[in-house]
Amino acid sequence: MGKQKGLTMISRRNVLRTSAFAAATLAWPAILHAETKTLKITTWGGKWGDIMKAKVLPAFEKEFSCTVSADQAFPFMPKLQTSPKNDPLYDVFHTNSNEQWSALTEGLVLDKISVKDVPNIADVYPYAVSDKIVGVTIFTSAIGLGYRTDKGLAPPKSWKDLADPKLAGSRGGYLIPVNSLGQCHLMMLGKVYGKGLQDLGAAYKALEQLKPIKLVDFTGQMEKMLLSAEVTEGVIHDSGVFRYYDTADRQPVDFCSPTEGVMALEQVLNVTPGSKVKELAFAYINYMLRPDVQKLLAEAVWYSPANKKVKLDAKYDEKLLTTPEKVATLIQPDWKWYNEHKDDIDARVTKILKG
Amino acid sequence: MSAAANKRPFDAGRAAYLGLNLLFIAFLLVPIAIVIVFALNPTPYISFPPVGVSLKWFAKFFDSAEFMSALWLSLWIAGCVLVLSIVIGGACALALARGNLPGRAFLTAFFMSPLMLPAILTGLALFQSYLLAGVGRPVWGLIAAHTLVAVPYVLRTTLAVLYNFDRRVEEAAAALGASPTRVFFEVTLPLIRPGVLAGGVFAFIVSFDQFPVSLFLVVPKGETLPVVLFNYMKFDLDGAIAAASMVSILLALGVVLALERLIGLRAYVKL
Repeated sequence: MGKQKGLTMISRRNVLRTSAFAAATLAWPAILHAETKTLKITTWGGKWGDIMKAKVLPAFEKEFSCTVSADQAFPFMPKLQTSPKNDPLYDVFHTNSNEQWSALTEGLVLDKISVKDVPNIADVYPYAVSDKIVGVTIFTSAIGLGYRTDKGLAPPKSWKDLADPKLAGSRGGYLIPVNSLGQCHLMMLGKVYGKGLQDLGAAYKALEQLKPIKLVDFTGQMEKMLLSAEVTEGVIHDSGVFRYYDTADRQPVDFCSPTEGVMALEQVLNVTPGSKVKELAFAYINYMLRPDVQKLLAEAVWYSPANKKVKLDAKYDEKLLTTPEKVATLIQPDWKWYNEHKDDIDARVTKILKG
Repeated sequence: MSAAANKRPFDAGRAAYLGLNLLFIAFLLVPIAIVIVFALNPTPYISFPPVGVSLKWFAKFFDSAEFMSALWLSLWIAGCVLVLSIVIGGACALALARGNLPGRAFLTAFFMSPLMLPAILTGLALFQSYLLAGVGRPVWGLIAAHTLVAVPYVLRTTLAVLYNFDRRVEEAAAALGASPTRVFFEVTLPLIRPGVLAGGVFAFIVSFDQFPVSLFLVVPKGETLPVVLFNYMKFDLDGAIAAASMVSILLALGVVLALERLIGLRAYVKL
């Protein structure tokens, strides 16, 4: 009887209203998801990746009401090449400069980014948007020589010091075909021993003189080899040495900017032409060039910021390229030229370093 | 008789045989020993001799949300691959061994072909196929890819058992009135089980350690442990890598031992 008392008449209107409410409730996450834009980017791992995931990207997502899908898994270039151009795997492509040039050749990235799309470009050093750059540089490192200070050797001053016979077997370099620091070093050998960065004959001859040399494929490996004293002196970027200054068990390792100049290892951002969220992609690049974001990342990983308005704390300011004078020591390689000759160079250097 | 008389004369052949075996064992175990030393050494780089013993790299590995999420994803995928490859590989083996299929040799080679193709190309081809099909890079796509390269292991071990199978046992069961289904579940399956399971163990390990196929198929925040380790190594070559390797080795060993305990693989095959 009680059950009958509890029964209520259900009208058609009630059923329709309840159904509509239930359908809307169920569909709400999908509607929300459809409204939330997703920006697909590439980014580095390590300390850079940590700070990006912990602070930089969440703040961007909050500010622009979007989600960022950040791919840290190499290799980026073949993945972008394989994906359809009208629906690319990435909206923002973050790589070093050499890969941007390869991507441009295949029409996978824009050739230039204008100040109209990314207003903070107005505040960057000229090297960040020079004719050697495809896209825009957000940070740079200086490629020079890292060395142990506890081995009784005079600190290096010139790139030529790496050829010191005392360093036989304890000097460090890279597998040139796979590492852009190694490629920069090869070009620098052409400049130091020959007529310029493109003097490959002089570069090959000088490379021969550097044997025996310990070769690695990642810069992270070179950092560790210097820390463990397996390498006494090697080619490395400044941040790969400076980032250990803060560690508790600081090792006797330092960085030298050779008198002939340092090669630029640029962190470049670019947008894919087929991106469905181009405005958001430009907003992301603009955000990455903003002084507060630049300062946060520069001080976390010891990269020199491209925005000249950034004011770093004294200890970073002293070491990094933060003035027009320091920036003037940067030498930017012509990656378009290098990529065009890469196959021949790879074959030649492999032959030299194998023997 | 004196002790000297009991002493065997020096056998150069036997000594060489033992020496060669020891060399092989050292070849297999020395890399693991180096990983252990690196994992326990507190310095943030490889140094020998080690300066002390510390569990800080294990702590770093287990404290890292990225490593943990990758570890669980790898285990989950390997578990799915284990089941799928057993079902698919076992069924394929039965069809090939019993089905009187035309072009059996070709079909066997076809199913084994994922092992002959460089895995990196398999990964790239699947990546491209998924994108063309418009499905993106779902987890089931990764599981399917791992299954593709794991099935040949189950197929090969099951076929080996089936080729040595005495079919008269099945015929006897059938003659005694057992239905074909009953013959399969109560006679055939228990007899081919060691081959299927041994292949399953390989499938699990192949999936858990799979790097080249996964490289193109993982998505941000959905990366397997080998891919995470590779990317980590490019920037931070510290003892956490060695700690992760130790955990991987122990987990793979744990799975083999667990299967041995649960199913008694040792009773059937020498692993």
